[in-house]
Amino acid sequence: MNPAIDTTALTRRFGDFTAVQDVNLSVAAGQFFGFLGPNGAGKSTTIKMLTGLLAPTSGSIRILGQDLAANSAEVKRQIGVVPEGMALFGRLTATEYLRFVGRMYGLDQATTLQRTQELLEFMGLADEQKKLITDFSHGMQKKLALAAAVIHGPKVLFLDEPFEGVDAVAAGTLKAMLQGMISRGATIFLTSHVLEIVERLCTHIAIIHRGQLVAQGSLEELRAGVARAAPPPRPGEAAASPANLTLEEIFLEVVGTDRAGNLAASPPEQELSWLS
Amino acid sequence: MAQLAASDSSGFDTTLRPIPARTQLLAVAWLRWRVFMNNFRRPRSSKNQAVGLVLTILLRLFLWPIMAMWVIGPAVACGYFGWMAIDGHHPDGLLTLLAGIAAFWQFLSINGVSVAATVSSFDPSTLVRFPLPFGRYLVLRTLLGLLTASTIVGCLCLLATTIGVGIADSSLALPALVVLAVYALMNIFFARMVAAWAERWLATRRAREIFGVLMAFFVIGVQYFNLGRAPRHSSAVTGSWLLDMLHISARVLSWLPPGYAANAILLRGQLLNQLGQFVALLVTTGLFLAIFAIRLHKQFLGEYLSEGAARSAPVAPAQRQKQSSPQPVAIARPVASAPAIGLVSPTVAACLRKEWLYLRGNGNQLIGLLTPLVFVLILSRGLFTEHPNYLLPGALGYALFASLAGLYNVFGADGAGMQLYLLAPVRLRDVVLAKNLMSLTVIFVQVVLAWSLVMWIAKSPIPASSQVSSALWILFVIAANLTLGTVRSIQAPRKFVPGQTRQMRTPTNRTSGLLVLAMLFGSVLLQVPVAYVCHHFHQPWLAAAIFAPLAAAGVGAYAFLLHNSEKLLLSYRDLISEELCRT
Repeated sequence: MNPAIDTTALTRRFGDFTAVQDVNLSVAAGQFFGFLGPNGAGKSTTIKMLTGLLAPTSGSIRILGQDLAANSAEVKRQIGVVPEGMALFGRLTATEYLRFVGRMYGLDQATTLQRTQELLEFMGLADEQKKLITDFSHGMQKKLALAAAVIHGPKVLFLDEPFEGVDAVAAGTLKAMLQGMISRGATIFLTSHVLEIVERLCTHIAIIHRGQLVAQGSLEELRAGVARAAPPPRPGEAAASPANLTLEEIFLEVVGTDRAGNLAASPPEQELSWLS
Repeated sequence: MAQLAASDSSGFDTTLRPIPARTQLLAVAWLRWRVFMNNFRRPRSSKNQAVGLVLTILLRLFLWPIMAMWVIGPAVACGYFGWMAIDGHHPDGLLTLLAGIAAFWQFLSINGVSVAATVSSFDPSTLVRFPLPFGRYLVLRTLLGLLTASTIVGCLCLLATTIGVGIADSSLALPALVVLAVYALMNIFFARMVAAWAERWLATRRAREIFGVLMAFFVIGVQYFNLGRAPRHSSAVTGSWLLDMLHISARVLSWLPPGYAANAILLRGQLLNQLGQFVALLVTTGLFLAIFAIRLHKQFLGEYLSEGAARSAPVAPAQRQKQSSPQPVAIARPVASAPAIGLVSPTVAACLRKEWLYLRGNGNQLIGLLTPLVFVLILSRGLFTEHPNYLLPGALGYALFASLAGLYNVFGADGAGMQLYLLAPVRLRDVVLAKNLMSLTVIFVQVVLAWSLVMWIAKSPIPASSQVSSALWILFVIAANLTLGTVRSIQAPRKFVPGQTRQMRTPTNRTSGLLVLAMLFGSVLLQVPVAYVCHHFHQPWLAAAIFAPLAAAGVGAYAFLLHNSEKLLLSYRDLISEELCRT
């Protein structure tokens, strides 16, 4: 079976600055895929390219076996996106917005209305039907953006920081919904800075650093890779078990060192000493 | 929830039927309608909903007739000139009229005054994320731009021209209707083409600033040429010069779309030639549409038009200086207790510095503040030259218009940064004072420059009485606007990003925008009769006697407001946070 998402030498430059360089991603259908990286690493740029919001400078993208550049309308119809800025229309109510999105994705009137109502109730927004989106809290807007991303039943879902600003109860509901989608065969591509969530939800992970893909594979494969790369234990010390490595440790191991081998993530000792 | 239908080996659903164009076009039309209707909804947290609504309605009742004149006036004039061109056998008149309509259309389009209240809250370029084929996206983008003042006024002018031509010669009615309909499309596509490419070229702040400087030079150059060339005393010479210009431009215009349209209507009996001109008009219209489509296609494919990425380029980590020994811990002193620097408190000084950095970093704003002074020159050389009593206040009012409008939303550019003022241990009164001081400094510079220009240009010395009354009048206008503007800035703030073209048009709350217009008109309405009465009764100092107490009252009102600004700001902090700090 072809991968649900497949990129070849994906590159994006902004003038002299290369945001994403030669990224080769492969996400199998039905995977819950986590895409990680430090701030400014190129995550959002990659998602924008994968969803057709940003043209690559070079390289190719295939979604569900279709070339995105050649069949953008057909591909967009089968994907759902929660973009970085959520792309909501602030002067609409939640109901109006979902109705609009449903119609734009070709759903008939009855299905749109039914799914709108279901989604608003599922997201806990049913009591806020008269409020304009611009008056929603950040978390409510996030939930609405997610509702809009799934109203047409996408086969591939792209989520850029979907849990940011969402309360714990709603986050639990959303996670259950996403896992339900996976069990029904959908593919989810997720970025998040909350590594615990990614570790719990995702089966496969890629890490991008300074625009380049530095790791890709299942969680077990990443653990094994990090363990292999670790220096041998000193005499008398027990070797660390790869099974015990958390995603945070893997992440820090992969991106937390600069080219000179220093830990970039560890804070300098002498700085900000005036802080009480 | 996600029902997965039949799909091929890659999971791509091959059973989906294409989305009908009608569905998506109706969805966007419905969206536009809902956005338009929701714009009439008042903010939920506004304490003075009823008062605000009544004020808005009253202001609109006052302003809508003025706006209607902009539509009806040109349309009536076009109908008349269209009739006259045919009935009076002035074929060049139709050509000039069509060129004039095109110029007026593009002028309105560039100014971007939108009739629809939806512009600030709906960006049609966001539609690219939906499953639209490019052709449909092009249609949508074209249709979405139709509800603008330029299109409405332009189309009405062309319709009136058609009626005028038809009344003069009924056999020309049908060709005029067809040709001018295509001519309207040509203007629409030309305006959209210019807007789309301007958006591309002006995507970065630096490009916008360079463009602003070039535009300022252009405007100044045109006015310099106008003042240098326009003879001032001989109407015969003026007429001759104007006729020469029209004659030359008619020859040039006949090779441009206005010429094609006029000839396609007028060349009766020369069918081949007439058809040729019509085809030329069609080709030009198609060409503009194609150039517009090329630009739109780039956007559709995911073009990035911002300097944001360049800004987010990773910077090499700075060399950290190793400290040989721990430094003594500095103890921060509360800002409020720090000694005052110079004439103002440290808070006011810090805020003033920040405001100066904002002003300095926004070249277009600086140019925008100086450009009206160029028009003061025209005003000084035109209608009011013979009336020194009106010259000075007229020039001052015109020069200060933009600056006074800016007083109505002083926190808007701070956005979420406003939270710092609310969180920091500072007196909010000092923040208000600093912002007002910076505004007053800019206004003072403009007043001095405008005043100097008027004194230099005036044909006869402006009497001292007129100067004193003008000074008191402008003091009243500034104080009144500063007071009302500060209240509106606190009660109805609106977030905007300086330098963003879409938001530059409406940097204030809409009610505040109407309010500043009403204030300025009110100020002028106050000045004119007072000056007239003084002149009529030969009491030159009466105006000063009238404006002096008003100025004192204005300054007093501002002082009172400033004294209570802390309390007022705190009572509206929820609304301010909600409006300025939202993501």
